[in-house]
Amino acid sequence: MWSFYIEQLIVSLPFFFKGLGMTIAVSGLSLAAGTVLGFVWGIARAKHVRLLKPLLGAWVDIVRGTPFLVQVFIIFFLLPEVGIQLEAFPAAVIALSNLSACFICEIVVAGISAVPSGQREAATSSGLNWFQQLRYVILPQSMRVILPPLVGQYVLLIKDSSVVSAIGVVDVTRVGWLTVQRIPQGLLVFGLVAVLYFVICYPLIQLSNSLEKRMSVSYTRGKE
Amino acid sequence: MIEFKDVHKWFGELHVLKGINLKIDPAEVLVVCGPSGSGKSTLIRCINRLERIQKGEILVDTMKVHDSKANMTKLRAEIGFVFQQFNLYPHMTALGNVTLAPMKVRKLSKKEAEDRGREVLEKVGLGDRIGHYPAQLSGGQQQRVAIARGLCMRPKIMLFDEPTSALDPEMINEVLEVMRNLAHEGMTMVVVTHEMGFAREVAHRVGFMDFGELMEIAPPGEFFTHPKSDRTKLFLSKILTH
Repeated sequence: MWSFYIEQLIVSLPFFFKGLGMTIAVSGLSLAAGTVLGFVWGIARAKHVRLLKPLLGAWVDIVRGTPFLVQVFIIFFLLPEVGIQLEAFPAAVIALSNLSACFICEIVVAGISAVPSGQREAATSSGLNWFQQLRYVILPQSMRVILPPLVGQYVLLIKDSSVVSAIGVVDVTRVGWLTVQRIPQGLLVFGLVAVLYFVICYPLIQLSNSLEKRMSVSYTRGKE
Repeated sequence: MIEFKDVHKWFGELHVLKGINLKIDPAEVLVVCGPSGSGKSTLIRCINRLERIQKGEILVDTMKVHDSKANMTKLRAEIGFVFQQFNLYPHMTALGNVTLAPMKVRKLSKKEAEDRGREVLEKVGLGDRIGHYPAQLSGGQQQRVAIARGLCMRPKIMLFDEPTSALDPEMINEVLEVMRNLAHEGMTMVVVTHEMGFAREVAHRVGFMDFGELMEIAPPGEFFTHPKSDRTKLFLSKILTH
């Protein structure tokens, strides 16, 4: 019996790979958009822009304090009520980008505030403007604090992307759902789904760990 | 060169500068001393607007520092600032530290900035350390890089905020030596320090601050031998006897 199911599963493999491609597409796009947006928001929050700062803070709290599935439903099912009709794919990317932007924003704020204030004072007193301070003094130092959790966040993002299967995006999780109706061996089918997620997440987990180690070494490059 | 006109500053309720009037001439070396919390650091931090003032006026070369229209980039480019904690950029080498502002603010080419950077690092005695990161340098060397960072902008004024207070005793002299040379070259300097030997030898005038007021200001000979106010006498007796 098992060998029959395994054979069936092997036949369905191309379908799984297509699903995996969709998972990578949704996560990849959201990861890129979420990173850009997260950095912009984080920098804006760290700069204490009046009005913008509390607004962003409230938004981040709301998004972090509500289930992602609910956010996806709101974007996909409720926005059409106010005239914004979205396909499943863009809705998924928007929801996931927003979610990751909120978490990345927090990571960026923490990274920027980890840089001692004396660094900014030194940069200010040498005449560098705000952008130059950020670009040459603050961000390069914050990246040591930002990078490890950022990569960790990417792992979470890829796993969270499974939620968008609920609105019909045919990602690898959705392929699992569909397959299990033909091959009634949940363990086998979702075991495969899990393996496919693990294969893309594991290198990132390793990367995050090694970044953590590398970044905790003090600034002594070039030492004999 | 620098002029304070009835300058007041508050940190919330705390009145930290109470009507400072002070004129510093070009090529003058002014040493400011006083107990901690007396407002001396705040005083020099107001000169390049690291701190805002609430009342009065500070002029640098006729430019109103605390005017909202003041061109701070231009002003700060002309004023080097040396911090107690050095505040070197840890992710850059000594050369990277001194050349950043000349390239980005003065718009020098990389080559020009690096030539100039080598020259100033040479001048503070660190010609053989240009490729070292701050973490690889001793405290005294780091502070000399910090001074070189200021000098690399070719400023008209150098401000020092307790430059030797964070240093081990054996490293204080190498930093003071650099400052002494600078003074002899005619740099306008305002130095907050407790190094009374340096004050006596290098300063043109010494000021004493307490409770946000400039209690006394006089040439070192007079300041150390005939201090006028009782608080100055008390302060001097405390720090000169140890």
